[in-house]
Amino acid sequence: MNRFTLKLRALLAAFVICLGAATLGAPNALAQSAPPAAPAAAHEEVLFRYLQTQGSGNLVGRVTIPDQKAATLIQPRGREFQDIWRGPMKWIAAASIIGMIVLVGIFYAVKGPIRTTSGYAGRLIQRFRSIDVFAHWLTAGSFVLLAITGLNITFGRYLLLPLIGPEAFTAWSEAAKVAHNFLGFPFTLGVLLMFVLFLKDNIFDKTDLRWFAQGGGMIGHAHPPARKFNGGQKIVYWATVFGGGALAVTGFVLMFPFQIVTSIDGMQLTAQLHGIIAFLMIALIIGHIYLGSIGMEGAFSAMWSGKVDLNWAKEHHPLWVEEMMNPTRKDSSLPTGAKGAGAD
Amino acid sequence: MARMKFLCDADRCIECNACVTACKNEHEVPWGINRRRVVTINDGKPGERSISMACMHCTDAPCAAVCPVDCFYTTADGVVLHSKDLCIGCGYCFYACPFGAPQYPRLGNFGSRGKMDKCTYCAGGPEADNTPAEYAKYGSNRLAEGKLPACAEMCSTKALLAGDGDIIAQIYAERVSTRGYGSGAWGWRTAYKDMVAG
Amino acid sequence: MLIKRSDATAARSRLASAYQGLSSGGLDRRAFLRNAGIGATGLAALGAMPLTVARQAEAGPMDHAAPVQRIKNLCTHCSVGCTVVAEVQNGVWVGQEPAWESPINRGTHCAKGASVRELVHGDRRIRYPMKLANGQWQRITWDQAVNEIADRMMAVRAASGPESVYFLGSAKFSNEGAYLFRKLAAFWGTNSVDHQARICHSTTVAGVANTWGYGAQTNSYNDIRNAKTVLFIGSNAAEAHPVSLQHVLSGKEKNRANVIVADPRFTRTAAHATEYIRFRPGTDIPLTWGILWHIFENGWEDREFIRSRVYGMDEVRAEVAKWNPAEVERVTGVPGAQLREVARKFATEKPATLVWCMGATQKTVGTANVRAFSILLLATGNVGGPGNGANIFRGHCNVQGATDFGLDVANLPAYYGVDETAWRHWSRVWGVSYESMVARFESPQFMTMPGIPSTRYFDAATAEVNPQTGIAQRDRLKAMIVFGHGGNTITRMPEAVRGLEALDLLVVADPHPTTFAVLSNRRENTYLLPICTQFECSGSRTASNRSVQWGEQIVEPIFESKTDYEVIYRLAEKLGFANEMFKSITVRSKVPEPESVLREINRGAWSTGYTGISPERLKAHLKHQRHFDLVTLRAGPEAPAEVRGDYYGLPWPCWGTPEIRHPGTHILYNTHLHVKDGGGTFRARFGVERNGVSLLAEGSYSKGSEIQDGYPEFTMAVLKRLGWDKDLTAEERAVIERIGGNNVDRVSWATDLSGGIIRVALEHGCSPFGNAKARALAWNLPDPIPVHREPIYSPRPDLVAKYPTRDNFMAHRVINYGRTVQQLAVDRNVARDFPIVLTSGRLVEYEGGGEETRSNKWLAELQQDMFVEINPQDAAERGIRDGQWVLVWGPEMPKGKVCRMKALVTERVGKGVAFMPFHFAGWFMSEDQRGKYPAGTDPIVLGESANTVTTYGFDPVTSMQETKCTLCQIRAA
Repeated sequence: MNRFTLKLRALLAAFVICLGAATLGAPNALAQSAPPAAPAAAHEEVLFRYLQTQGSGNLVGRVTIPDQKAATLIQPRGREFQDIWRGPMKWIAAASIIGMIVLVGIFYAVKGPIRTTSGYAGRLIQRFRSIDVFAHWLTAGSFVLLAITGLNITFGRYLLLPLIGPEAFTAWSEAAKVAHNFLGFPFTLGVLLMFVLFLKDNIFDKTDLRWFAQGGGMIGHAHPPARKFNGGQKIVYWATVFGGGALAVTGFVLMFPFQIVTSIDGMQLTAQLHGIIAFLMIALIIGHIYLGSIGMEGAFSAMWSGKVDLNWAKEHHPLWVEEMMNPTRKDSSLPTGAKGAGAD
Repeated sequence: MARMKFLCDADRCIECNACVTACKNEHEVPWGINRRRVVTINDGKPGERSISMACMHCTDAPCAAVCPVDCFYTTADGVVLHSKDLCIGCGYCFYACPFGAPQYPRLGNFGSRGKMDKCTYCAGGPEADNTPAEYAKYGSNRLAEGKLPACAEMCSTKALLAGDGDIIAQIYAERVSTRGYGSGAWGWRTAYKDMVAG
Repeated sequence: MLIKRSDATAARSRLASAYQGLSSGGLDRRAFLRNAGIGATGLAALGAMPLTVARQAEAGPMDHAAPVQRIKNLCTHCSVGCTVVAEVQNGVWVGQEPAWESPINRGTHCAKGASVRELVHGDRRIRYPMKLANGQWQRITWDQAVNEIADRMMAVRAASGPESVYFLGSAKFSNEGAYLFRKLAAFWGTNSVDHQARICHSTTVAGVANTWGYGAQTNSYNDIRNAKTVLFIGSNAAEAHPVSLQHVLSGKEKNRANVIVADPRFTRTAAHATEYIRFRPGTDIPLTWGILWHIFENGWEDREFIRSRVYGMDEVRAEVAKWNPAEVERVTGVPGAQLREVARKFATEKPATLVWCMGATQKTVGTANVRAFSILLLATGNVGGPGNGANIFRGHCNVQGATDFGLDVANLPAYYGVDETAWRHWSRVWGVSYESMVARFESPQFMTMPGIPSTRYFDAATAEVNPQTGIAQRDRLKAMIVFGHGGNTITRMPEAVRGLEALDLLVVADPHPTTFAVLSNRRENTYLLPICTQFECSGSRTASNRSVQWGEQIVEPIFESKTDYEVIYRLAEKLGFANEMFKSITVRSKVPEPESVLREINRGAWSTGYTGISPERLKAHLKHQRHFDLVTLRAGPEAPAEVRGDYYGLPWPCWGTPEIRHPGTHILYNTHLHVKDGGGTFRARFGVERNGVSLLAEGSYSKGSEIQDGYPEFTMAVLKRLGWDKDLTAEERAVIERIGGNNVDRVSWATDLSGGIIRVALEHGCSPFGNAKARALAWNLPDPIPVHREPIYSPRPDLVAKYPTRDNFMAHRVINYGRTVQQLAVDRNVARDFPIVLTSGRLVEYEGGGEETRSNKWLAELQQDMFVEINPQDAAERGIRDGQWVLVWGPEMPKGKVCRMKALVTERVGKGVAFMPFHFAGWFMSEDQRGKYPAGTDPIVLGESANTVTTYGFDPVTSMQETKCTLCQIRAA
């Protein structure tokens, strides 16, 4: 159509000729000639457009230094990375985190804490083993710290820097970064533990359908029946396993840049994924924290002492209580000694 | 005030790497840190071009936008500099930089990659001009002495131009009109959102 | 082209002010640098501990409060002659600044030039003299070193005669150093003194000098700005002479000039060409004749130029007629149509210049190649004017000067040859008797016999003593004194190991331990002498364009290193002839003064016009560099009187005494100018007639010449016949009579120590060396008209019968078995087992043997591995990926031995061709020799040497080695 298309055609032709020269060879193997150099064959714009259709759109050449990253001459995606970082990332973060806080706030204001309607029985039953509790708090503790230090990377500059000044902020951020890197290990361990420990109680089944149908008790009056974990908890579990796992994987990739993922595009994507998943996880966990603490009476002790009030259990997890009371059910998560614990 | 830019005339650049060693020499840049490099595209084929690349001192610099500690600043000359005192070596600027400019003393980010290092346009850093402290962190400050970056000053074929953006763009445009061809001011669109005739 | 900031001192509002005072102190830079160095590379080399520091110039940041001294010297890395401006504080070289004023480099450098400051930082330099004792390097004192070396030399002399000692000098000497080294060999009593020119442009010097008089670049780098067509054959100037491309590309742009690159490899230079010709390595003559065929066919030749200024072009026509496009394509692979276009441009879009380098010269037909190129220039009338000529880009920083000063087996300084006249001339200059010089030699016969070329030293150390089939002297080589010369730049390294091990004494005097020091398994009698670089001493050097520049010492020699001058003096002193040798040279505490050496040169080097080039004039040129024009190199009328009207660096010939102020000769053989303005004619070097045909120019003469026709070189007899002898002053006449004795008529312009004959010739507008025709037919060469001869190891055995190499012959005291080797290669079908043509060349980051540059951390980082370029098709056939390790071996390597290097899979080379850079050493046939270097002096980067794979083959005229065309095989490691 215009000059540009013509140029592009010329360029493609040049490429074809180059390839042809290389592959066809000449009648006499030692005596082939190359086509004359076309001065415009390497016009930046033309080459760029050409490369846009060929994959990453990065301009990659040859460098003599062994650092292959340096062979990328221009990667215009850096500008996109900048834009995504400045725009969507922050909006996703703000929307999900602030959104969740607002949601929880409204919920609390409207419904208040969910109470155990039948009152406490005064009899406790063992809901979690100590290793379960350990795994939870290992994950939870490291997650909270990771979230704070991670959020600092995105928002500290806007929220904290103006308050404490550049030197203090850098000192804090440097420590936060080191902490973030090291906390990745306990977090990963916690996620792995929880995955193993809670897996069998978190397989979705029919009861979860009902639970979801009743919106976890929001719709109608009765608590929908649940086994050890209700549908919502299972979502948190799987989100933790997948989201936490993804955070761990992307985190390690970022920790060893260009060693696991070697391309700049891959690194950019990893950084963006890590951020977005983290924001969503933070939002989810805010909800989880709410429900596990002030949002629901009697829930906190489950992960604190490992024991819960029988009535609470009957209301929220009736099927689980049934299973636990019925010793024939071997798949029950009833811990040995639960009876004894319940008896005092 | 001038708006300092780099422009590499790929039709002149012969990958002699003078810019690279001039930079090393001027700032005693250590092994493994490559503030400037020369990349050859279409290597060995007709249309081969070599382009010398370093920090382009972008307009609306992506590194500055993504820096978690806001350690970058742009001087009145349009030079994008950073403070090594503030840098935490997170590596984000490398992901954002379209030109692969940021360099780190260490490969991994575990613990720390060390303070980021990059081309300063031979303009030092936040410290007082041409003080030992400034030299130690950023190398010499030629701009403060009225000189231009060593890489461009020593370019064997005068392919690498440095100076006020308007003036070097004009030099380039004149060259293109004299010789009748030009393969473009590499990286200008990405760096300065701007094009030069050619 | 750079824009200086005008408002540099204006206050700049930046974050700095905001952060000032807040900063809690800097990061520890040393730690930062250290960590960076170790963390970012896996190179074990960087971890090596340096030796005890004797006197190290600690580089540090500049103190901006203290005064800075700016000292000018010259880059030591190639022949372009870039000025280096050093900033020195308290005797320490703290910074390098662009040398804006230099008309040659105008502030610019290549990677090497921009990093020269590192050389005197010297992390890996030799710090003190050392010797091998039972295989271990041992520190010794200078006195002990010189005494032991001299004693061993005398022992060799007693047992085997002076001809068993070999003096290998350097193109990195200053002119004064080169001259003294040649003089050292002369006073020792041998002509076996050589340097890198043997393996770089010896064939150029021979070929070009035999064509039109002088073996040098006719024009200059700057003058290429005038060219409308530039043809590069076998030159990759973009990597070998990067700063020259500034002139080439500027000219190309301004004139919209044709830049044509003919090379087997698509080089960085080819990337900037308007046309690229890929041809088979070793077929330069068919290529040139192929071009000339079209020129003659279409009548594009310059008939008037040929008639008036060229001898023997008809014989050339007869040879060229054989090279029709079909045959050219069959042999070279270049399509006829492409060459027709090249021929048309070269002959009609004038001025056209031809640039060649080692691609043409390092061949068994090197001299013939050069002759063919010269003939192409002559046929098209492209010699002797702005923008045309033979722009021969030479290699090392002073290879031109070292050649000029006779580091050559067949010459005394200034190309006087080694015959009796030459010896008598230089004896007079040196103030010693001719007879006393004769007495220093084995016999008068050896005094006038060319010595052994550097390419054959190891053959001369191992061959049997036999004047027909071995080495033609009393005994083999027993001792080698090597100053500033790499061992890996000479072919056939496996053979070299045997040669080195056979020597009784090996001395390596160099800033770095070269391959010579580590290649062999010598355990005793091997000495390493630390020599400083040219930045640590003063002296003049001659760039490729014959411009001479004076470099000032930047810092004192570092550690215990000494200047070439001092070491040569100390050796001469111990050998017992220092007083004679330095008779008219000022020596202060054993250090000869370079100015005084140059003055002695001024008194003797009439033949090349080095006589007008006084130290004072050279220093004035450096001081007033900015007054010289970029294109004409001439200082204009506004320039200070001491340089006004001069060409930059007084490019030789700078006729007569300094007092007559000849401006130098920017463009040789340029008849458009008066000789006093740098004009000239072709040199009458080969008599006045042959077979009844005049060899003198016909109707061509330089501007203002009183003789408006050809004339022979000026002698007293000629002056008398012209009646111009009365113009001589009484003093001049007295000198001439003293020299001539009873045959005053034979005193010539070249032997007249008064300069009177030259002065009178100039006064009459005549070239002192006569006005002849250039010779298209050079009857004294093995091939008077160049003919194609296949390489010794030809990839086309089918062509060998028709185009065989020359028969075996004794060359330079050593037998040349080329024909036998070529026939064996055909008979054994070597081309089948070694199907890849191997060629070699330069990298921009490294120079020569590369020890110096591979020890420079700023350069070494840029090329960390030895590699071989291989075409993607060849690579695919062998399952080789880019960047992987491969094994390479050649037909002359010991069975089962291979070289290990990285593969660079690229279309730079065509199918069936591989390329290797020749700068690497330290690995030898897969063995890492790092441990053999004295501790702390091993270069950062080591690698296999290309010359481990290269093979037999020598040019018949100069014994130039074949490096550009041999065979090899490659497989994945």
